[in-house]
Amino acid sequence: MNSALRWAGWFLVCAILQSTLVPHIAIMTVKPDLPLLALFFLATKAGVMPGVLVGFFLGLGHDLFSPGLLGSNSLAMGLTGALCGLFNERVMRLDPIMRAVLMLAAFFVNDTVVMLVHLLKVDGAVSTLFMELLVVTLPRSVYTLACSAIPFIWITVIKPQRLVD
Amino acid sequence: MRWLIEFIVRYRNFCSLLLTTVLSVLMIIAPRADQENTARYLTMTVFYPVYVTISQVSSFTGVYAENKRLRQELAEANTQLQFIRDLSSENMRLRGLLGFAENTLYKLTPVRVVARDPSHQYRSVVVSGGSVQGVTTFMPLVGEHGAVGKVTQVMGNMSMVQLMRDPSNRTSVMVLRSRSAGILQTENGRDFFVRLRSHEDVLAGDTIITSGLGGIYPRGLKVGYVTKIDDKSNLLFKRAYMDFAVNFDRLEEVFVMRLPPQWAAQKAEIDSIKFEKK
Repeated sequence: MNSALRWAGWFLVCAILQSTLVPHIAIMTVKPDLPLLALFFLATKAGVMPGVLVGFFLGLGHDLFSPGLLGSNSLAMGLTGALCGLFNERVMRLDPIMRAVLMLAAFFVNDTVVMLVHLLKVDGAVSTLFMELLVVTLPRSVYTLACSAIPFIWITVIKPQRLVD
Repeated sequence: MRWLIEFIVRYRNFCSLLLTTVLSVLMIIAPRADQENTARYLTMTVFYPVYVTISQVSSFTGVYAENKRLRQELAEANTQLQFIRDLSSENMRLRGLLGFAENTLYKLTPVRVVARDPSHQYRSVVVSGGSVQGVTTFMPLVGEHGAVGKVTQVMGNMSMVQLMRDPSNRTSVMVLRSRSAGILQTENGRDFFVRLRSHEDVLAGDTIITSGLGGIYPRGLKVGYVTKIDDKSNLLFKRAYMDFAVNFDRLEEVFVMRLPPQWAAQKAEIDSIKFEKK
């Protein structure tokens, strides 16, 4: 229960930072995605089901507070949470490189699902998907990866036992 | 029913993924109106605390930027307000001058004070009117409250004006009520008085006007008001101390009276007089 509350607090902090601090640290419109980063850490710690449920609600919140299509982000983040949860620490031990690769993959999965849903909804050309992934997703995921160094060091070096229940 | 619960518990990961995927797909394929209703409902119920928290914190972060913007706007508004006040003040002065100009019989040229004597108690000013505007030496200057001084030097577009309160500017004045005439004098540069014979009728509060005897100022220009009478220091004369009607420290817009000196017509004759050297 304490762990759930703690995670809820982290997600709230991430959501607040995403709407307040992140716009100020954007580099040429490229911004890190802190809620997705928090989802990644949660899923790789707690497993598939928490990752899916939290991802679903995070995505739903994203859908509600953005002018996008309702359900697209909830689907994408739910699937992303499931993917990350498959590689949770109870199943396998992740080294930093594997963790970075998995995070990049999570971003690509998330954005691919969102864009595919939009393309299907508006009957758009699939070819634009690759350009979007290259121009939008790749810089965003790299920037978020750089930002993840802080929580990664916190979780693995400073407070390794805190977040594992 | 039990097998269902066991199935869900056993395959909880798959079930949760299936459930959320189905819900998401249902939301995606729902009509636009249903999507909006669902979004409105969720925003006002489940996600309302999150929405309120984020919006409150976001509003705090905007305080610094808003404060900076408001300070800038305040500075701009204050600058504009000061400018408007100056214009308003100038407008009021000019209205007063206009009223004065319309009520006088002389031809007046409006000029603006552009420089002042840098001394502590300045005696002269420079005005923005010169020979181009038809100003010549010894023309008197007046303001809405009375006589100001006379032109002593003329340039193209500006002129030097000797103020009434210059101690060397000895003006012939008279008491408006009793018509007693005298010379405006000062001993210390601050206290001005009219020397009158001891039997002349003058009282505190009387208005002092120009007498027209000096040849420069026409008769009847207001000079000041008598503040006190000193008739004890001298048996033959008394002093009527006065305050100027014009505030020389606040001079901004004045008029040049297009009135040549009374001796101008005879100037050539006067200049032609050759005094015999003894």
